[in-house]
Amino acid sequence: MIIGIPRAFLYHRYSTLWKTFFEELGIEYVISPATTREIMSQGMACAIDEACLSSKVYIGHVEWLIDRCDKILVPRISYYGPHGTVCTKFQAIYDVVRNTFRSRSAEFLDYNIDTQTPEGEPKAFLKLGKSLGRRTSSSMRAYLVARQALKADELMEQRLQEKQLDEPGIKVLVVSHRYNIYDKFIGEPILQDLRRMGVVPVLADAVNRQEAVNAAAEISGTLPWAFNKELVGAMALWKERVDGIMLVSTFPCGPDSLVNEIVVRRIDDIPILNLVIDGQEGSAGLETRLESFIDVIKFKRDDYSAEV
Amino acid sequence: MRKAYLGIDIGSISTKGVIIDEDQALLAHDYLGTEGNPIGAVKRLLASIDEQLDHARYKVVAVGTTGSARKLIGAMNGAAMVKNEITAHAIGTVSLYPDVKTILEIGGQDSKIILIDNGVVVDYAMNTLCASGTGAFLSSQAHRLGVKVDRFGEIALRSKSPTRIAARCTVFAESDLIHKAQIGHSQEDIIAGLCRSVVSNYLNNVGKGKAIRPPLVFQGGVSKNVGVVRAFEEATGYPVTVDANSHLIGALGTAILAKKSKSETPFSFQITDINFTTKGMECQQCSNHCEVICIYRDNELVDAWGNRCERGAVRP
Amino acid sequence: MQKYKVSFPHIANYWVPMKILFSEGLDVEYVVPPPITKRTLDLGSRYSPDYVCAPFKYCLGNYIETMEAGANTLVQAGGVCRLGYYGELHEQILRDLGYEVRFVNMARARFSKPLIIYNHFREINPHMSVKRIARILPVVLKMVECMDEIEDYMRKNIGFEVQNGSLAAVYEEFLTDISQVRTKRELRRAYNRCKKRLRRVPLNVPQHPLRVGIVGEYYTIMEPFSNHYIERELARMGVIIDRWMNITNSLRPSRKRDIRNRIKPYAKYHMGATSMYTIGKALEFAKRKYDGIIHVKSFGCTPEMDAMPALQNISSDHKIPILYFSFDTQTSDTGIQTRLEAFYDMMIMRNEAK
Repeated sequence: MIIGIPRAFLYHRYSTLWKTFFEELGIEYVISPATTREIMSQGMACAIDEACLSSKVYIGHVEWLIDRCDKILVPRISYYGPHGTVCTKFQAIYDVVRNTFRSRSAEFLDYNIDTQTPEGEPKAFLKLGKSLGRRTSSSMRAYLVARQALKADELMEQRLQEKQLDEPGIKVLVVSHRYNIYDKFIGEPILQDLRRMGVVPVLADAVNRQEAVNAAAEISGTLPWAFNKELVGAMALWKERVDGIMLVSTFPCGPDSLVNEIVVRRIDDIPILNLVIDGQEGSAGLETRLESFIDVIKFKRDDYSAEV
Repeated sequence: MRKAYLGIDIGSISTKGVIIDEDQALLAHDYLGTEGNPIGAVKRLLASIDEQLDHARYKVVAVGTTGSARKLIGAMNGAAMVKNEITAHAIGTVSLYPDVKTILEIGGQDSKIILIDNGVVVDYAMNTLCASGTGAFLSSQAHRLGVKVDRFGEIALRSKSPTRIAARCTVFAESDLIHKAQIGHSQEDIIAGLCRSVVSNYLNNVGKGKAIRPPLVFQGGVSKNVGVVRAFEEATGYPVTVDANSHLIGALGTAILAKKSKSETPFSFQITDINFTTKGMECQQCSNHCEVICIYRDNELVDAWGNRCERGAVRP
Repeated sequence: MQKYKVSFPHIANYWVPMKILFSEGLDVEYVVPPPITKRTLDLGSRYSPDYVCAPFKYCLGNYIETMEAGANTLVQAGGVCRLGYYGELHEQILRDLGYEVRFVNMARARFSKPLIIYNHFREINPHMSVKRIARILPVVLKMVECMDEIEDYMRKNIGFEVQNGSLAAVYEEFLTDISQVRTKRELRRAYNRCKKRLRRVPLNVPQHPLRVGIVGEYYTIMEPFSNHYIERELARMGVIIDRWMNITNSLRPSRKRDIRNRIKPYAKYHMGATSMYTIGKALEFAKRKYDGIIHVKSFGCTPEMDAMPALQNISSDHKIPILYFSFDTQTSDTGIQTRLEAFYDMMIMRNEAK
């Protein structure tokens, strides 16, 4: 039995958790490759036209995995307890995938975390293990090891981030959902461009989640979505330590459409660039906008030394 | 004296007309530009087909209209049938190709797909987004490239590796087009790329979730573009039929419907001598400010529409 | 002390019970929001972020219009999708425009927690009396129920009136009647009178009229301006219109489990907001052999969009055509008219082919 893992959406948050869990249980898995043009166009062909680019990318990855594995992992997470809820897309994605690929013989593997299951993640993983024919005790052990591994990863990432914040030179806080900024097609070109311009990109999503969620209220009091709270919290925590903020969203992201507006209206002491990626834009336009934004920062700092 | 039926398809860009006999054989037809003046265009059209018709043998007994100005032209001609263009196209196409299963259509302003089963429309869809990927879009891009749009097809066929063009939105497409030209893509590759992106846009938007089954018939202004026809064949894997008279199919459909309506009133081509005027006025009854259109025949009000509620009603 | 003049964004005809709730229950003046028009949308789109869903724009525009009409306290209710965050941004935008207004955001209120609701009501009027609200609330809820029931009857019959506008005239009278109602008894009387009058309106129902079910997103399906009055257009064509979604039905949580069970083949999980109702009712309309289904939503509405793959499968499993509408801020009716007419023709032709 081989499990297929789409390299999109929550993969970028939980890859270590999933991989370790399956490895510990001795289950083989295959991960779809970094987003390619082909994966992207498959996603666009299969998904509802109006859907956000990130979900189209996800659908593209699922499509890639069909016929390349036995079961495709499509978890459903709709609730992060006191941290908040998520965009309904994550509530719906399992059924969207199932309906979209109904005519293709594909099997899907899911686990579910929502308000109805207060036991949360551990329980969900035990069920997942059970559906794969594993004993509760070994699933439990695998889950705990996997959680530990994820925790270690996250700490590493945070430490790295702290270091970057202390670096000299121009730093830009890139505020974008992890599944966007780590995507080869959506976020990576932006990070590359920034680095090429001698700018240090600081990722808002690599923040300590608990601290960020607590800090988010400083900017917005009624935010319902956990992922956006983390991003907004990162801005509250770090905006004094960076030179500019870049909001990177995919078209037409529901939560971002409101949250970005609040951010732009409430943070006025630092340059902000609001970038919306729709997967179609020619690279020329993007480059120009990034460059002029960095120029604004340089002008403000009266510092052109980073010019490469 | 035999009965004949007149069908007029009046779109934003072109005006088409046919006269058919009771066996649906074509007796007269013409095609001309609307030029922003539907009433004038229809008068010119009528003058032309008036000349073609053998008045000794045929008498027009019913008129059908379709297209975006169908209501206006219907009121002007006392039409027996005023029909939306989706139905008119379906009826027209099925009369020529009884086996057709899928009708692809890309016109000047919009695009649609119609699925047919046993000669009956079973599903259809129309573009939800803006005019990107339609005839108007191709014309404006042709203008940018300094090429006549009717040469697009032959140029596209010369391309070996079409350029990828972002064509979801006209604005993006333009900047991408310029960018691609600047970095050295050849004109034929760019044009072939445009044709492809028109097709992929169509399939991702209008064609989404629709089972495209052969035989396929492609119509609308863009069907004259062999580059787009080729791109459709590549994308669907099926041969695509384009009727030589594909631009007349909507008019044909509405003429057939006029015949089926069984409501007959003698039609006089003298209508071209009558003075028709339209007047748009903004209703001031509430802040909707509905645009009410009034049609006058020799200064006498014959019809009016556009009001969303009774307060804005204007009656002859 | 300044008098509280409260308002809540306009949606369909629900301003009538709202007015009673606020003026009688909370003892504040209720400013009836001006009906949604092109101007509402113009105002709303001008100050809203670009790709936010259309209901946000309508509400924002309507807030500005109610303030022009004298309101000094605005209420936003919240909801389970993006709606839940509307209030905070609405308030911010209005503040940035320089409006000095009280804004009561009920986003965090859960209907299951009466105390929180009570606190929000207190925010609207600190001097409110619990007794007053307890007396009027059941009447208001019942009133909404009566309205929904009558509107349902209207949708199913309005296409067949002999004299155009006669059912609407009766309903208008009913709305005027109930605006004076303060007790359940008065309400029942008004309701019975209206029912009797409605039944007397001459109808001319053909043998096999077309039946169309409408499903979709909460706001767009209920506020007729935002869906380009598609129900009225359908009625003009002589069609039975069936729409389950209204305030009464959406407030009945007991129905949820029922629906969830029936749609298991299409949705294993709750897909968010109104998507369950959309799928559930579409499936029901399909099974009851309706002639067509119309899906209505605002552009970018995520939960309704996510219901679409399921709707497509229902459409192919039950061979029922579905027309999808996604409304944004375009105001031209012609494209919508064309699609509706073609949909009607298609239903007729499919019927004839049977």
